[in-house]
Amino acid sequence: MSATQKLTLTSSDGIDIEVERKVVERSVLIRNLLEDLAETATLEPIPIPNVNEPVLKKVLEWCEHHKDDPVSMGDDDSDSRKKQTDIDEWDQKYMSVDQEMLFEIILAANYLDIKALLDVGCKTVANMIKGKSPEEIRKTFNIQNDFTPEEEEQIRRENEWAEDR
Amino acid sequence: MAPNKLPASLKATAIIGDSKAALPAELMSLLLDYLPVPALLRFAQTSRRSREMVYDDSRWVRRLKALGVWNEAEAQARRRAESEARKSAGKRPESALFDVEAEQRRMRGVTGMGRGAVDPGFENVRPVFEPVAGGVDADPGAALTVLARVQSVRGRARQEFGKVYRVLAPLYLDLARARSHSDPVLFRMYREPEQQAAMLAQLRTFARCDWTQGGLEREEKVESMVGIFENAVLREFERGIEEGDVDGRMRRYAHVLVALNGGAAGVDFYIQNDPLMARGVAGLGDPLEGLRTAAAGMVNLGPVQAFFRDLARALNEQAGVIDRVFPVTVDALKPFVERVAEDIIAEYITTLFDEAHEQNVEVYLKAVAGVFEQALRFAISLKPTQASPPSFAQDVKAIVARCFEPHFDLYLQEELDYFQRKSDADVAAWKRRIAEEAASTESFYMSNVSRQAAKADFLSSFKKVVMLPVNALSTLPTSFAASKPADTPTSHPSTPVPDRSSTSTPIPVARPQSLAPTTELAAKVAIMTSRLQGISSLFSIELALTLVHAAKASLERLATFVSLGGQSGEEAREQCEAVFVALLQTLGTGHIKAGFDRAVQHLSEYKPREMAHAEDGGVEPLVTFLELVNVGDLIQQMVDVFYAQELVAPRLCDRDDFVSPAAQEKRRFEQMLDERVAAGLNMGIDVLMDEVEYLCATTQKPGDYNPPAGEMVTDLGPSECARRIVKVVEGHTGMLVGSTEKGVLDVFNQEVGVRLFTVLCKHLKRQRVSTEGAIKLISDMNCYHDFIRTFKNKSLLQYFNAMRELSQIYLIDARDAKEIGTIIADSEKYGGIFRAEEVYEFAERRADWFTVKRDVERAMYGMGCAVM
Repeated sequence: MSATQKLTLTSSDGIDIEVERKVVERSVLIRNLLEDLAETATLEPIPIPNVNEPVLKKVLEWCEHHKDDPVSMGDDDSDSRKKQTDIDEWDQKYMSVDQEMLFEIILAANYLDIKALLDVGCKTVANMIKGKSPEEIRKTFNIQNDFTPEEEEQIRRENEWAEDR
Repeated sequence: MAPNKLPASLKATAIIGDSKAALPAELMSLLLDYLPVPALLRFAQTSRRSREMVYDDSRWVRRLKALGVWNEAEAQARRRAESEARKSAGKRPESALFDVEAEQRRMRGVTGMGRGAVDPGFENVRPVFEPVAGGVDADPGAALTVLARVQSVRGRARQEFGKVYRVLAPLYLDLARARSHSDPVLFRMYREPEQQAAMLAQLRTFARCDWTQGGLEREEKVESMVGIFENAVLREFERGIEEGDVDGRMRRYAHVLVALNGGAAGVDFYIQNDPLMARGVAGLGDPLEGLRTAAAGMVNLGPVQAFFRDLARALNEQAGVIDRVFPVTVDALKPFVERVAEDIIAEYITTLFDEAHEQNVEVYLKAVAGVFEQALRFAISLKPTQASPPSFAQDVKAIVARCFEPHFDLYLQEELDYFQRKSDADVAAWKRRIAEEAASTESFYMSNVSRQAAKADFLSSFKKVVMLPVNALSTLPTSFAASKPADTPTSHPSTPVPDRSSTSTPIPVARPQSLAPTTELAAKVAIMTSRLQGISSLFSIELALTLVHAAKASLERLATFVSLGGQSGEEAREQCEAVFVALLQTLGTGHIKAGFDRAVQHLSEYKPREMAHAEDGGVEPLVTFLELVNVGDLIQQMVDVFYAQELVAPRLCDRDDFVSPAAQEKRRFEQMLDERVAAGLNMGIDVLMDEVEYLCATTQKPGDYNPPAGEMVTDLGPSECARRIVKVVEGHTGMLVGSTEKGVLDVFNQEVGVRLFTVLCKHLKRQRVSTEGAIKLISDMNCYHDFIRTFKNKSLLQYFNAMRELSQIYLIDARDAKEIGTIIADSEKYGGIFRAEEVYEFAERRADWFTVKRDVERAMYGMGCAVM
């Protein structure tokens, strides 16, 4: 079974996308699926019911770019992974999409089990949150403030220690 | 991305609203891990649900764990204690996430201090953090130990982390931002290097929980700051060393270094700058001196010993200094010893061993074992420091042993090879010598000696010698280490005594004593050898002794390494067994077996009729063979003693371990010996009977049992022939007494008896016996009978009883021929040993048979017995 073998994925909106096996194997979900399937079964289109065509294409774009990365086996210490990497330039550019798409990518990465992509997505969102006031965060993420003013003030005081001085 | 440009779809499904979330909770939770602490807590302020997620205790426990201050056991114990207390007091759980009532109470309580409600965790630490102005806590002293004071309480991890964060984060971020090493607030806040070190150490730890973006750079920055600081401290430390200011500068900065990062750099630095290291091997004597000053084939261990003594003295001095300089939490001596071992000892012994190996294998072997023993003594003589762990003695031993590791495999191999080569050569040389001497006559006969006594005597002195250590390395300077045993016996003739003339080492007093049993043994060997001249062409007890000695020397050298334990010790032990196995193979297959085979061959070729007969009546090859059995037995006992003394006693080998190669080989050896003996005895019986037949044929005069008429029988004793037969058989069976197992002996005697009986019957049937000659015959039969009785074998005796009775038929006068017939017909008479036909045959040998035949037969048939 060669890595350049072509596979077909079917998105949730019923569109077939042909893709190199090696690229799609970035997804642990699909890699495991392929390992379990018989050789001939891989000729059938693989349905990806949770991801629509634009998002799937976007995700595959990332996979294409990263297809030669070393595959990280197992979940090594997640904290150290987070610590190590800054978002590289290509990923930064890749992630400059609207927020809806960003969230869709994160969801798809989570569903397809592409750790590195999920990582980049989370970092991007974290960067969006950093430096924002609670009110700005609420706006960004459309969060309903359900605190009374007193409660809100109390939490602020509780966590005063963490504010940069 | 501007917040107001949120796509419609996202608006409809806000992340964490009351409505459906765009990102599921698990992803939100994951995402929160990517936030730095301030952003994380701001996020908590956005909604109740956010707060719940952020406040989740496990999130903070993880951070505390990263700092290495979370103690799970403590947390569990505390929790258990709390739940107990709660149960008994009936109080509400305090861990409620948000308890309005309690908060209000608290608020009322603290408003007087002008502060709002603070959550419970901060209540007890508040005094420390009260003056927040200036961004740095006013109690820098307490801040130095903030990490150590963290408590592991479930449900309070966030508060505990808060305490740490509040103190360390400002300094940490400040340090990470600092451009030069004079910049950071930390160095202005703390003036004393001890404090600076303690704080830097805390910040290094703190960096571990900084896992947001940029954390890597920040950590590096902190590390580089620590490095700069460390170098500065090391410079001060160095000045301390230069000035020799042990209790002042050195001590102080050593403590600073320890507070900073455990002091590894300080210890390293200290070790490197030590004069001992600077001097190196050259400062402690020439490794090769021991080889140069020794006679050929020997090693002079004096210089080696001096080397180790000097080294031990230097190290013990160092231990004193280390105690003064370093705090008790840091074991500086061990790394120091390690370095000494690596740089000095390893180099020293490598040089020595390589040279020795090139010179001569024997020298090499002696050098390795000797130096190793010295090294172990060296290890014992080192004194621990206060900081040394209780395992110090073992640690040092292991370190020293490590130096020997590279030489270890080669040594073990060489030891076995050397022994095998040497023993093979010995055996070969002996064989060559024998081949040259083969033509010379073999005189033999070890008579008039109590074999058992001689053997017991010999074995006892052998045992004495075996118990003595055979080592060249036992030069024992009591001054070197007080703690080692003083009972070191010494030299043995078979191993060279090291030349001590060039050293100041006192010659051990034990020497003369140890010589005594050895010389005693040597004398006994000589006696034994002279007694055993006859078999010297077959195998030599002397050679066996030499081999055993060589094996013993090898074993003792190897045994020093067994004490190492672990894998090396096990390997050494296996090699010990291998040496023993090699000894048995050389001795057994190479030497004894060949000897036995030749003896058996001699036996099988023996033709009594073609040989000239010695007057003393010994059958030469049989005597030789029986002596051989004796010697074989002796050697086997020697091996047994050796095994018990050298392998079992020092626990190199377990007697009950049936699969150990040594035990197996020993069994095989014994079995081989038994087989040879059995085969030889079998052959020996044939030869002996041939001899008996030959004697019957040649010495029995026709007139013995049938004297010519008229001649009176004057001599009533047994005939010449009978006497000689008894003598021959007795002589040979007697030789075996005490040399083989009783069982074997009994079987042998039984066989000899039965065969002798057959031969005698056959012989009798060829004689003609007259009534007068019957007296002679009866006395012959008595003679045989008496002899057989000495075997104490009941069933055998029955045969001879029968034969003795049978001979009485010749005594019956011809007039009583009828009686003869009755006797023949009485099948019970001879206990079933002779059938009637046989008795009839014997009766036919009567000189007057033809005259009595008719009467006899009539009597027989008259009795109505079906004989014919």
